[in-house]
Amino acid sequence: MVKEGDYVAIFNSVHRVMEAERLLKDKQLKIMTIPAPRELAADCGLAIRYAEDVRGEVEAALTQAGLMPRNLYRKSGEGFEKIEEEQ
Amino acid sequence: MNDLDVRGMACPMPVVKVKQALESAQGDLRVLLDDGAPRENVRRFAEGRGYQVLEEPFEGAFAFTISGAAAKQELPGAGRSGATVMLIGTDRLGDGPEELGRLLMKNFIITLLDQSQLPDRMLFINTGVLLTAQGSEVIETLEALGNRGVEVLSCGVCLDFFHKKESLAAGGVTNMFTIAESLLQAGSVVRL
Repeated sequence: MVKEGDYVAIFNSVHRVMEAERLLKDKQLKIMTIPAPRELAADCGLAIRYAEDVRGEVEAALTQAGLMPRNLYRKSGEGFEKIEEEQ
Repeated sequence: MNDLDVRGMACPMPVVKVKQALESAQGDLRVLLDDGAPRENVRRFAEGRGYQVLEEPFEGAFAFTISGAAAKQELPGAGRSGATVMLIGTDRLGDGPEELGRLLMKNFIITLLDQSQLPDRMLFINTGVLLTAQGSEVIETLEALGNRGVEVLSCGVCLDFFHKKESLAAGGVTNMFTIAESLLQAGSVVRL
């Protein structure tokens, strides 16, 4: 479900996930709402997955809409590495 | 020894055919199959169920000898009698807002991939067939479940009703005879 190098954005509410999903799909960005991987325990159990090629657009759209995820991870080997904010 | 030729079949048909053959096989099963996904998926499926797989090259493809049927007894779910059938009669999980229901159904199906005990068969009827047709977000997931031996079947009348007959993207088509028979012969039915 999550491939090597994919990003997994965890939100702190189901409403934010759904709003983010709507926003990104309206922009035709290739994302998918998935159950949050167990090891990344999220309150609402949902996450948005996207690949490197759309990362810039996805994160710009989320930032612009004030919908930044609570945490962002990248799939790496068996686990996930946490991506710290770069701004 | 029983023989089965699944060369030229698209995924997940090789796994589905092997599963059916193993369920009715007396003794070892010899399967002829193509390299690539069928070779990997059938091996993973059979070994996951406790069988031994012996492989040899065969006319540019491969021949598996699958043996050790007795090991089936140790499988998770072996205590169940009869198949577990999941009847999915809607594209939403639970009663409530449509958007939430769709999200929950999608997530439920994806979560099945993490389960060690899977249904033997998933029957999609009514708006459930929207999950198996093009445009559904769980096609990839249903294919992966198919490769683990889950038989994914959609109601033909329902596909027709939604004008999705030509766009079935996961599993096969079935009719009400098979649906009724599956439900009546199942060891347990999970209805969503």
